[in-house]
Amino acid sequence: MSFDFSPIFDRWPMLLSGALMTMLLATAATALGFVIGTLCAVGRNSSYRAASAICAVYVETIRNTPFLVQIFLIFFGLSTLGFTLGAVTVAILALTINVGAYTGEIMRAGFNSVHSGQWEAAECLGLSRLQTYWHVVLFPAVERVYPSLTSQFILLMLASSITSQISVPELTGNANFIQGVSFRPLETYLVIGVIYFALSVVMRQAFNGIGMLIFPRRRRLGTAL
Amino acid sequence: MAAVAMASLFVAAPSFADVLDNINSSKKIRVATDLGIPPFGMLDGSMQPSGSDVDVAKLLAADWGVELEFINTTGPTRIPNINTDKADVVISSLSVTEERKKAVDFTRPYSFIRTAIIAPADDLAKEWKDLAGKSVAVVRSTTQDIALTEKAPEFGFTVVRYDDDATTITAAVSGQATYVGLADPQMRAINERSPGKKFEAKIVINQFPIAMAVKKGETKLAEKLNEWIATNIENGKLNAAYKAHHNIDIPAEILK
Repeated sequence: MSFDFSPIFDRWPMLLSGALMTMLLATAATALGFVIGTLCAVGRNSSYRAASAICAVYVETIRNTPFLVQIFLIFFGLSTLGFTLGAVTVAILALTINVGAYTGEIMRAGFNSVHSGQWEAAECLGLSRLQTYWHVVLFPAVERVYPSLTSQFILLMLASSITSQISVPELTGNANFIQGVSFRPLETYLVIGVIYFALSVVMRQAFNGIGMLIFPRRRRLGTAL
Repeated sequence: MAAVAMASLFVAAPSFADVLDNINSSKKIRVATDLGIPPFGMLDGSMQPSGSDVDVAKLLAADWGVELEFINTTGPTRIPNINTDKADVVISSLSVTEERKKAVDFTRPYSFIRTAIIAPADDLAKEWKDLAGKSVAVVRSTTQDIALTEKAPEFGFTVVRYDDDATTITAAVSGQATYVGLADPQMRAINERSPGKKFEAKIVINQFPIAMAVKKGETKLAEKLNEWIATNIENGKLNAAYKAHHNIDIPAEILK
């Protein structure tokens, strides 16, 4: 058994463009998924039964079906109905919907972890429900579940490899091509394994940096809430 | 003298198990055909073998006056079937490649398979330059993918890759892909699954000659098959069998 990495490294522009596409998918879906997940957590805790039911159905549907099924449904299902979206758009949409459900549950745990005295204090000050979320609860909640959120978004970046199935030219898709023409599966997947690992480290560091920026307690005391 | 006698013994030895003699003595020819790749080989409504390769095998057996037995095979087991003497000849859309020439003896081409860019019938694309700015779907790292990836920068189209036939066909049927680079059998699969929208070949990517194959060293059988193929190219029967199932003629340059 001899290793030959040259057919893989010769195609480095494909690996680079694949890694960039992976990061684009991860970044877009993280940002959008965080917004959707937070709204979903607010909805689930809401006293409006309809809002809470809709959010519950969304979360349970997404968390109990495979991502591959979801993405095929959106990609092929929509175009069968005459509504055709590009592969990258569908990938971002599907990843957002998927990670939104998981984020929703994490954020709900965060909101519920905020001491009830804080909710009552806000109420006494005459803040509306939404004002309470925004000014009082949101930041401590996010700070408390920040490590879980970080893990979830890194999982999302790794799961974006599945979008190669709907022809998105991301890292795994491009690696499958390189493997298919070079017949060097071991070397190819070793290389992209290392690249994924590096991307995970970069993402984790980025989340740490953002955490330092938005959570003063962390910045000053260096301790988690 | 002794050396010459020994040598001739060794040369003569294989002819004891000559496949052609076996065919003649048993009055039966065993043909390995994949019946899962319409329209080359398939099972018809009454579960009988049908298709262009099936018709060729039937013609051959009728002309030679022998009984025909189909050995059902899959793509990857076509060559092992003759190399392990389970079949006498492969007639199963086997395109001629350098790799395969090392494993078997090919006859002259009797048929062909082409890869093409297909699109819905009402699409106006006719030549490569019409694809500028468009996306062409293919199965990842197939010959079509490699050929199109080379052409893409020149003509300004994007190659969009799926991992298998099934997903690519679904992309075409569902409308996700307008242009698809594939071989004729998959186009047939698409047209069967998409009522109201018929795809047709717009631009030919590649044409591969298809030949029969016999076990390495079965020269007598290969020669006899070559004679038969030459006769039936001449009288047009091979082309007729192909056209009956594929609706196109075999290009003359393939059969040369």
